[in-house]
Amino acid sequence: MSLPSPKICDVPSAIRAQNVGKLFPRGKSYDTAFRTLTKRLFGGLGRTESFSALKDISFEIFKGEKIAIVGNNGAGKTTLLRVIAGLCRPTTGEIQVDGDMILLRGLDVGMVDELSAAENLFLYGSIYGLDKEKIKAKFHDIFKWAELEAFAGAKLGTFSSGMKARLAFSAVRYFEAEIFLLDEAFSATDRNFKTKYEEVFRKQRNSDQTFLIATHDLDFARMFCTKTLWLDEGEQMAFDSTEKVLKLYTEGKAT
Amino acid sequence: MFRPSARKRYVNLLRELAIAQFKLKDQSAFLGFLWSFLHPLVMIGILFALFKVKAGQSIEHYAIYLLIGVVQYTHFSNSTSRSMTVLYSMRQLTSDAIFPKEVLVLSGVIADFVEFVFSMIICIIIAVLSGVVLSSAILLLPLVWALQFVLVLSVSLLLSCLYVFVRDVAHIYQAFLRLLLFITPIFYDMSFLEAGPGRYILWLNPLAHLIYFSRTVIIGGSRFPVGSSMLLLFATCALFFCSLKIFKNYEPTFTENL
Repeated sequence: MSLPSPKICDVPSAIRAQNVGKLFPRGKSYDTAFRTLTKRLFGGLGRTESFSALKDISFEIFKGEKIAIVGNNGAGKTTLLRVIAGLCRPTTGEIQVDGDMILLRGLDVGMVDELSAAENLFLYGSIYGLDKEKIKAKFHDIFKWAELEAFAGAKLGTFSSGMKARLAFSAVRYFEAEIFLLDEAFSATDRNFKTKYEEVFRKQRNSDQTFLIATHDLDFARMFCTKTLWLDEGEQMAFDSTEKVLKLYTEGKAT
Repeated sequence: MFRPSARKRYVNLLRELAIAQFKLKDQSAFLGFLWSFLHPLVMIGILFALFKVKAGQSIEHYAIYLLIGVVQYTHFSNSTSRSMTVLYSMRQLTSDAIFPKEVLVLSGVIADFVEFVFSMIICIIIAVLSGVVLSSAILLLPLVWALQFVLVLSVSLLLSCLYVFVRDVAHIYQAFLRLLLFITPIFYDMSFLEAGPGRYILWLNPLAHLIYFSRTVIIGGSRFPVGSSMLLLFATCALFFCSLKIFKNYEPTFTENL
């Protein structure tokens, strides 16, 4: 299905998915002790329905490739990223990942409103593997890039979502991993910031790091991603060069 | 590019999370620390007023006796209840960040433990001021603290994991903690339970042993029970490895159940 990109054999694969499927029970709420006990004692009374968040997904991503994942809300983008990240077990199929990963589900995961911006920076960095010494060395640079130098001591709760996103992304620039999984991480940002982070990504285009980016921003996908995976209600609609897939996707969306 | 090894990363994350949780408890300020002392202090006041005459009659240094019991019980109950919900209250991190999730529990337990050690040191100071003569047995106190730490950590790992799947365990656990307050010799003498079938409950209650250890070490009166402390050390370590194994076993299913 996928077009053979040139010199495939030389490049080792970073992520390989084979017939990956994921079932979730529909409308599941948490169990109570009573319900758990009765289930144990009398078996599954009133079986719960399930729906497939992912159906038979297969693809291979090579090291250094930049992949966009597009699809409507509920298409399974987040579930796929979580399965790759090892945070969810696939119900069927197999996923193989070679390399250490960072998953960014929004830029604010790991930020605490009650702590100051500087304190947050150390906490945020540690969650994604950036140690104290490195943050100390880059401290001023991170705040300067984010244009928040005057706010290092302020509580993060007083920041706007755009300011938080700038601070977080400024730190993200120093994150080190072989594979980056990004999930609509940059939604709450203004035009000025968009230019700045796009500049960062533009520099990354030829890096040997692998990127998987779930996004609704098709222009960004065109700019940064060589290939695109289109998901719709858990099904793999297409996985091919960005240009081709986005053509299909925009046409498909129109009908 | 040089990458910090996995272990260094783990320690770095643990330290930052523990510091953050400690700060969030508002404990970095001296007054914040005093506030956390208010609740046990009220409890001690009530218990002292109620039981000094009857239960406390035969007990030497009854106020210190109470203080040690209440501080250790409060630490156990607060730390385990807070840890129980930590995977849920930090569910963004639990379900969307890639790192070993026991760090979330461990860092909280460490933050609480620091507070506990401070409280115990204050206990000792009060004891000395009120005329208790310390012996060299006091050097065994860190062992008691270590046992308490491992016990709290093990129970926290189990509870936090269980809470992901069965939410109303919180109510059941609160009821259990109330029961624990009364089946542990906090305000009465151990001999009260030792007489009847209560001694089996006493024997199975690790917290009762730990409180007894602290009291023999600080107040004195009887020799430190080396045998039973070794047995408890073995039991808590076994409990820790079991609870960690269970936690790691369920870890990959946390995300979809939160």
